[in-house]
Amino acid sequence: VVENASTMRPSPGRHPLSREFIAQHQRARITSALAEETVAKGYRAVTVADIVRRAGIARNTFYENFSSKEGCFLAATEFAANEALRRVVDAAGEVDSWPARVNVGLAAFLHYVASEPALARTCIVEALSAGPAAAERYEHSIQSFVQLFRLGRKVSPHGEELPETLEETIVGGLFWIIYQRIVMGEAEQIEELLPELVEFSLTPYLGAEAAKRAASERPRAAAG
Amino acid sequence: VAPDPADEPVEQAADYPPELARLPPGRHGLPREFVAHNQRERLIAGLAEAIAENGYTGTTIAHITRNAAVSRRTFYEHFASKDECFVAAYDTVMEQLRERVGEAFDGAADWPHAVKAGIAAMLRFLAAEPHLARLCMVEALVAGPVVVERYDAAIQSFVPYFQSGREGRSPEVLARLSPTTEEALIGGMMSLISRRIIAGRAGELETLLPDLAEFTLTPYLGSDEAAEVAREG
Repeated sequence: VVENASTMRPSPGRHPLSREFIAQHQRARITSALAEETVAKGYRAVTVADIVRRAGIARNTFYENFSSKEGCFLAATEFAANEALRRVVDAAGEVDSWPARVNVGLAAFLHYVASEPALARTCIVEALSAGPAAAERYEHSIQSFVQLFRLGRKVSPHGEELPETLEETIVGGLFWIIYQRIVMGEAEQIEELLPELVEFSLTPYLGAEAAKRAASERPRAAAG
Repeated sequence: VAPDPADEPVEQAADYPPELARLPPGRHGLPREFVAHNQRERLIAGLAEAIAENGYTGTTIAHITRNAAVSRRTFYEHFASKDECFVAAYDTVMEQLRERVGEAFDGAADWPHAVKAGIAAMLRFLAAEPHLARLCMVEALVAGPVVVERYDAAIQSFVPYFQSGREGRSPEVLARLSPTTEEALIGGMMSLISRRIIAGRAGELETLLPDLAEFTLTPYLGSDEAAEVAREG
């Protein structure tokens, strides 16, 4: 079973916890405190003291895990980006056609955003203003999703005639809509947008009618 | 307020954006109101230049006043803070950008060509003014909530251009456009543009025209017609 260590919970009765486990747990707690503080006052205004207070840990503990607020921010966005990508890829692996993969992959992404609104806001909204390293991290994320969409060229009747920048524009458009909803405080209802975002993403590859059909289908799981 | 001697321009005019040109060096004997207006524009140009060099967060008021060749006191006569100066700069640039886009859009024969002309005008403006492009498409997102709000509003202000493409379409086409179609198209386009600027490729922005025209027209016209308009001329 591949599971990210920071999402594991200690099983009852299995003590003492390893040092490594405690460290992972602490880091997750600190990064989620950073996300909550960021939502409350904006990344630029957040201080290490705010994070420490919210996480209920000693200042020393913070600095044992991260060198600075920036380091903590990058760890939070790195974690969330990997987790989002993992969920998308896992979900897509459950169905067999590319349009259905876009459908369930986007569903998994929106579900993650809706279930972690503070982390989503930190990664999608605040990352843009958190300096060059965060911007690079954001760019890296966009590129991962660009690669997934590129697979659509194989099933598109227009194939390689499609504009070179198509995937970048699609991913940018999706992120923009998600960004907008988060800014408006509607992260929790974001899953309602699934059909129109799927349609938006598929239209250039399949044409509007086939895209609408794929968007309204409940994808069938792959055999096995 | 007596004129501040330090406000006399001291540097030779560098390559300032033509829209934001400074007063020529030397004594001018111009009315105070004109000078004040011009000082404001010089400060805005000074800010744009400082941001291009240092990024928004790295820019200080000293950078701005040095580039604008005015005193610190003059800065504070016009703006309460760096943020306020940025907001003024952002509004000035966006107003010009909107004007260019609007003129290009209104001058075209039909809606698909109007969209293409509008995008072309935007790319041309941003490519010709890399400092201003960076200011309004990249640094705006770094400059804090007030500016981010304006950035969002600016993007929304382009929605009607696309929405007018719904007029006269068949019910089948209208049924497949969703309420967020326009926002997603504009967001996608802006995101691509700002990432090119971040990558230091503002000068090449105009080469994106066929791709962006095809991308934005496809939901309304279908792939074939959109590609045809996009690849013309």
